[in-house]
Amino acid sequence: MSARVRASLWVLLAAAFAGLLAFGTLRESGPLSQQDRIDSISRRLACPTCSGESIYVSRAAAAESIYAEIARQVSDGQRNDDEIIAYIESRFGGQVLLVPRATGIDAVVWALPVAVFVASLAVLGMAFARWRRREQSGPSNADRQLVSDALTNEAGKES
Amino acid sequence: MRRRVAPIVASFVGVVMVAFLWVLVSAEPNAPDDAFSPLVGQPAPAVVTTTLDDAPFDLARRKGSWVVLNFFNSTCVPCINEHDELLAFAAAQQDEENPAEMYTVVNDDSDEAVTEFFAANGGEWPKLRDPDGAVAVAFGVARVPETWLIDPNGVVRLRIAGELTPSLLDEQLASLRTAFGI
Repeated sequence: MSARVRASLWVLLAAAFAGLLAFGTLRESGPLSQQDRIDSISRRLACPTCSGESIYVSRAAAAESIYAEIARQVSDGQRNDDEIIAYIESRFGGQVLLVPRATGIDAVVWALPVAVFVASLAVLGMAFARWRRREQSGPSNADRQLVSDALTNEAGKES
Repeated sequence: MRRRVAPIVASFVGVVMVAFLWVLVSAEPNAPDDAFSPLVGQPAPAVVTTTLDDAPFDLARRKGSWVVLNFFNSTCVPCINEHDELLAFAAAQQDEENPAEMYTVVNDDSDEAVTEFFAANGGEWPKLRDPDGAVAVAFGVARVPETWLIDPNGVVRLRIAGELTPSLLDEQLASLRTAFGI
């Protein structure tokens, strides 16, 4: 396989990867029912009186009140999911957020894995390039001379 | 090649570590639970409900007086413990020129249990129903007791989380009246 074909295959693979990633991220999963929305929102919020439990899981009184409020707001249809979560946050503070925000210092949580992924790709790319250079480079003239001298010596000993 | 890559990787890791350290050092500590609420200084949430006597209640119509909302449950020990403080506060307010209005917000409790508690322990102020916790969520109340002070303009001025200590409510209201001149 020529270097050009190989490079084209890599480009195709990268394009397919990026395309599938974009499709998976941006695709609409269809209209959600109200119950789906309530469950989805309550999974993103922490029970304020429990340790690490979501509103969806918890049966604490405070969690059930918040669940009822989410259901009420979804039923009203006045706010989208993010706005309902922002409302609960405005009442109980940022500690009720189970999913970090994508702004401010919280954005580090999202950006860091991407940065590590990109850095890993770069390091891998450099390693592959080095291995290829090592593979392509044949023996130098000095190497040839060394082998030739050794063979001559060996032949001299035999004779 | 290795000589060039190693310092770059080490520098990157170092920068990330220093950045995390900086975030940890410069982060604001959590505010004490009895002081913090995003609502303090904001207009009070809408509260439209009924009293245990089935009278309508709308918080927005209480403007002109200081309003005290005490979130209560008859089985909660700190709520029971602070009841004498609330009785003393309510009695002291009768002597004020513009007395604060006192309300109990029933939290996750039955009408019968609350009525029975007040019949046995006193407290003539209105008790507000909150059957599905909407009022508690609107104020961000996760645990009872909690006591909130709302000024005559309808602005939330103070949240006291937990059991009231002697004279705390009188002192806080007096200092708020002085601070805001209302």
